[in-house]
Amino acid sequence: MDNNSILKYLQGKASETEKAKFFMWLEESPSNKEEFLAIKKIWALSAKHKNTDGITWSDLKPVVQLKNKSRLFVKRILKQAAIFILLIGFGALAQYIISTNVTNQLTYAASYSVEAPLGQMTNVELPDGSMVMLNSGTTLSYSGNFSNGQREVYIEGEAFFDVEKDRKHPFIVRSKLVDVKVYGTSFNINAYPDEKIFNATLVEGSVSVLNKDGKEMAMLEPGENAYYDEHQLNVIVTKVNTEMYISWKEGLVTYRNEKLGDLAKQIERWYNVEIIIQKEGLGDERYFGTILKNKPIDQILEVFKLTTSLQYEIVPRANEPTLIYWK
Amino acid sequence: MNTVGSKFNEIDLLLFKSGDEKTFEVIFDANYEAIVGFCTQFIPDVDASKSIAQQAFINLWLNRYKVERVSGIRAFLYTAAKTGCLNYLRHEKYKMHYEKKATAEKENRLNQEILQSFQFNRLEYIELEEMIQAAIEKLPEKCRVVFIKSRFEGKKNKEIAEELGIAVKSVESNITRALKILREELKDVLPLVLFLL
Repeated sequence: MDNNSILKYLQGKASETEKAKFFMWLEESPSNKEEFLAIKKIWALSAKHKNTDGITWSDLKPVVQLKNKSRLFVKRILKQAAIFILLIGFGALAQYIISTNVTNQLTYAASYSVEAPLGQMTNVELPDGSMVMLNSGTTLSYSGNFSNGQREVYIEGEAFFDVEKDRKHPFIVRSKLVDVKVYGTSFNINAYPDEKIFNATLVEGSVSVLNKDGKEMAMLEPGENAYYDEHQLNVIVTKVNTEMYISWKEGLVTYRNEKLGDLAKQIERWYNVEIIIQKEGLGDERYFGTILKNKPIDQILEVFKLTTSLQYEIVPRANEPTLIYWK
Repeated sequence: MNTVGSKFNEIDLLLFKSGDEKTFEVIFDANYEAIVGFCTQFIPDVDASKSIAQQAFINLWLNRYKVERVSGIRAFLYTAAKTGCLNYLRHEKYKMHYEKKATAEKENRLNQEILQSFQFNRLEYIELEEMIQAAIEKLPEKCRVVFIKSRFEGKKNKEIAEELGIAVKSVESNITRALKILREELKDVLPLVLFLL
């Protein structure tokens, strides 16, 4: 194939027939393909697309805010009267089954995503003024159409929402298992089959939990928690102490009858460490109590040591998360 | 071609990592056109390409603490663009006539294959742009002028022909010649970095 035909293809000027011809040439021999791959790479790496819209970093920046302080956020919530606060948690295990494929499906078209890396919390202010606080290891995505009134976000992990009131434009939180919809005062929840657990705790406002067909499964009042997993038909609603569910925002975590094995998974996420439970049965041992997760990890492990049968050993590793044995 | 690497020193890197907005603006301005340009080579939809590029910068901002070296900035951006393009291509649906569709699907697969073969993480060790820049410097005069106008200034073949007072055919042959020489030039340096399949 002559060079000009390759150039035509590279510059996107080839006709359908020329394209077909090009692919025939390409498939003819591995060396043809190799030659084209090399050229195309140089071509792609030397490409520039004029920034005719005059986009600058400040056009993108305002939607993203990375802060470790939760003070401001809480202050803002207290100042606003007409807000809805919803907490969604997917359970320790479910957070780990973050499938990138699913995110991709929902986010590839003109979308933004914000990730709270392991061991960090992230505050996000959405274009409509709604605030979201992401717990460690959580991803929040939203479409570029968000500011045009399409208030929709997709979440994997755990987050605390403070949604700006707007009756005309419903606010929708999508997840693998559920969708949550807010029309001024209500949410709509939808479930995805491969997610294990869904948990929503309402602090303020009013929320409906709906199944995939849009049928209402439950209505939440402040102080109530909705629990749902793929094996059951109905949402279980219980009165809860909301503090227990939202305490992670302040760095406080309260456990009631939690398995140490599940706890280990959470600690791995917060501190970006790897925990290996060596003693048989230790993972099933239960823990009651409150821990301050902003404290150094050895302090937390000391607390566990005092209140359970756990012993531990910390093994720092270069370029890899620190290894901790529970024995 | 703007090279962040040569103008950017270790102090700038520290400023960048600490979240200095001004430094990030410099990085954005120096790389945005190249990242969008990269995406448009695999995704004809310019708006989607822009969106992928913008997301790459947002991700870089959010993950700036992970960047260890100056060259890691570009490696990060290109890797994010690569991932974004691959995601897009994997979900691209074709609503067109059968024959056209077959070609479009081939093109999609080819583009995915090319994207996958980029190994940007290796750029931590070698400055890619500097290598291409050096290779371009070595091109014959006319070849170089035409190539730079075409690739970095985004000019159409016809515009270049008018500007330089040469035939469009001559512009085309100069670009292909440049590509050929570049390929030859970069053959020894790039295999490890870029052509690793």
